[in-house]
Amino acid sequence: MELFVDAAYESLNHYGEELCGDKVEFVRQDDSFLAVLADGLGSGVKANILSTLTSKIIATMLSEGATLTEAVETIASTLPVCSERGLAYSTFTIVRVSRQGKVYLAEFDNPSAILYVDNLLEPIQRTEREIGGKTIYTSEFSVKAGDLLMCFSDGVVHAGVGRLLDLGWQYDNIVNYVSENVTPQMSAREITRRLLSAVNTLYMQKPGDDSTVCSFRFKANRPASIMVGPPVNPALDVTAVNKLMYSKGLKVVCGGTTSQIVSKVTGKELTVHLDYDNPAIPPTATLAGIDLVTEGVLTLGKCLEIVKTMTASDEKQLDHFSLNKKDGATRLAKLLLEECTEVHFLVGRALNPAHQNPGMPVSLGLKLNLIKELSAELEKTGKKVTVEYF
Amino acid sequence: MVEVSVCVGSSCHMKGSYQVIKTFTELIKANGLEDTVHLKASFCMGRCLSGIAVTVNDQPVENVGFVNAEQVFYEKIFPLAQGETAGA
Repeated sequence: MELFVDAAYESLNHYGEELCGDKVEFVRQDDSFLAVLADGLGSGVKANILSTLTSKIIATMLSEGATLTEAVETIASTLPVCSERGLAYSTFTIVRVSRQGKVYLAEFDNPSAILYVDNLLEPIQRTEREIGGKTIYTSEFSVKAGDLLMCFSDGVVHAGVGRLLDLGWQYDNIVNYVSENVTPQMSAREITRRLLSAVNTLYMQKPGDDSTVCSFRFKANRPASIMVGPPVNPALDVTAVNKLMYSKGLKVVCGGTTSQIVSKVTGKELTVHLDYDNPAIPPTATLAGIDLVTEGVLTLGKCLEIVKTMTASDEKQLDHFSLNKKDGATRLAKLLLEECTEVHFLVGRALNPAHQNPGMPVSLGLKLNLIKELSAELEKTGKKVTVEYF
Repeated sequence: MVEVSVCVGSSCHMKGSYQVIKTFTELIKANGLEDTVHLKASFCMGRCLSGIAVTVNDQPVENVGFVNAEQVFYEKIFPLAQGETAGA
């Protein structure tokens, strides 16, 4: 089974600093996922430069096929030396996950990453390695869908030090906190925010160190194909519908005329529902073999709005209840955000004669822009989005 | 059975098919015609330029809007429904 990595990170800056001294870099490739968490020496501009250089160099080199030794040696000889401390230093944690769920973990001076298998803490076997005078712990293990891996910077371990807590929060207490709070349904973003808000509280909203939490939730890969709009050339109707019907994973049709085309090609009856869950959004329909059938451009517009509020970075509280409504736009947003891991849009560019009337606030350009904006928003959540035009 | 379809495609939705469906549902209930009139929604019928697209027994009805929905019901649907109940 192929795995998708639901990855999220968030940082708290050292109190009074505009820049964060921790840096996380994600690289998604066809066959693997790579994440680097680096924590630069000190805080502010200097730490930011050190950690950015470290994470960027490691991520770029490893994703281009360099070995860990080469990457570490490059950093050692590239990082600028701090004038106060006479050191060039940044810690790092590297996580590399293959599509098949093989994880390679390399850690240097960061708090040890923690792994949850079936929602229970699982010890990681580590091997010590010396590279360029640095002691690096590496480990290799397999994960399956539902497992969770988390790493964090030492700002989390030191939370509250010297103020609320004499010795800070301490590693073991953090592991206990996560063990007590994590549930199998929790997304990477949710557990990240929960841990970091506890850190912020312990620091009494004035973090004494940059603190970063980075979580990886492994999920079974589940693509979704979404057909929007009828093809310009009606001869391509069958091709487009076949692409949808023979795709793996979830199948969605957006658009009245489009769903009629799908119904005609597949020979299955289209039933439009009469009940409105929200008078502002046209009702949905059912069609055998399709997971969700909605109206087109109005639903997509509303869906984009919902997705935007969910991905907004200033949204501190994730409101999952608002994704439980039953109207077409909310169901589409939930499917895109939570149920699938990659999205393939099959976009037909035929002009709808109905939309040419001046009373209709919708144009073909608007529809294509909606798809573009929606794709960009979904890519922000780490999903792979592809668009194919007909 | 009198089959009534109301379009809920984008264009008709913008013109107010929600109200038309609501009015029809209420009138069917008020006249006790639940067993004689079958109200359905439909996606685009391709008649987007002549008011909210409605068909009664597959015959198109022109110029329906939420203002005249009640009138349309009594002119086009009610007589057919009464004919059915009388015939049966």
